[in-house]
Amino acid sequence: MSKTMAKVPFGPEDMARRRKRALVMALVLAGLAVLFFVTTIVRLGGSIAERSF
Amino acid sequence: MRDVDTSFAGAAVQAEGGQGTAGDYFALLKPRVMSLVIFTAFVGIVAAPGTIHPWIAAVALLAIAVGAGAAGALNMWYDADIDARMRRTASRPVPRGAILPGEALGCGMTLAFGSVLALGRLVHVAAGALLAFTIFFYIVIYSMWLKRLTPQNIVIGGAAGAFPPMVGWVSVTGSVDLGSIALFLIIFMWTPPHFWALALWKKINADYSNAGVPMLPVVAGADETRRQILIYSLLLVPITFLPALVGTAGAIYAGVNVALSAMFVYHAVKVYRLREGAEAEMACKKLFGFSTLWLFMVFALILLEHAVGVPAFAPVMG
Repeated sequence: MSKTMAKVPFGPEDMARRRKRALVMALVLAGLAVLFFVTTIVRLGGSIAERSF
Repeated sequence: MRDVDTSFAGAAVQAEGGQGTAGDYFALLKPRVMSLVIFTAFVGIVAAPGTIHPWIAAVALLAIAVGAGAAGALNMWYDADIDARMRRTASRPVPRGAILPGEALGCGMTLAFGSVLALGRLVHVAAGALLAFTIFFYIVIYSMWLKRLTPQNIVIGGAAGAFPPMVGWVSVTGSVDLGSIALFLIIFMWTPPHFWALALWKKINADYSNAGVPMLPVVAGADETRRQILIYSLLLVPITFLPALVGTAGAIYAGVNVALSAMFVYHAVKVYRLREGAEAEMACKKLFGFSTLWLFMVFALILLEHAVGVPAFAPVMG
């Protein structure tokens, strides 16, 4: 099999767009981590103090 | 295996994937629709009997908003062909080529599964299930099936836009009660006159006609659409008072709604009576604009009553 798919080089604008998208994704993921952590604490409520070890 | 020929346009487009900006992806989520969804879902949360932790309520709103965004992205993926043929939608990210259809599909599916799982796991499983059904209804029942098939598309498809306050309500109570059905019915009955007023505009009507979307004015004509707008507007009036009858709203809501409903019907009658020329076009624009304000006011009144502690009427129904 021979592939002749042309490579499309990324220019500075493309790279800048990618960087911005990656930054937004990183912020979203960090936000989700905070969201799940705080929600877990809220849902646990007072029960965390009453658990048996 | 065949060689891959890069000389045809499709390959070039494929190779240019991943070019969308963060702003393009935000536009893919239909932020204006999302803002209405957030507002009506918030009213559903506030109006529901029972209590919910403010953080959990915020999580519910976020999940519902993301679910709405997912539905918007999936709709843009599926409707890219007709969006490209309409002036109003040709600049959307997919027909403009900023985001590839596959990227829109991937984004939509990821957000859909994420929002449903988050709502179901972090808030209430019934709310998650209802959000999943809402996204399914908007994409499969409305976008894929009804939109291109029947002039009644907006009537049944409008249900998708009516579910968010119910999802908000279920996030608090875990069940679909009469109050949530009343909020659902208001948006359900409001949708046809609102969108048909828009579809009667000459530019928009021409767009739908060019794209082959069987909107009521395209298939049945402007006169029949005006008649249907008036009928639905009159049917909307008693439905607007349902929240007061089922114990979800009180005196301020009922009182102000008398005036709001009268104004809605007044605008609908003007659309019905003015058939030709700039006046007729203006009447449609005024109805479209007022109906947007009307829905906001109706839901804001419920919010206001809960904020200032106005007691709801004792339920007559349910």
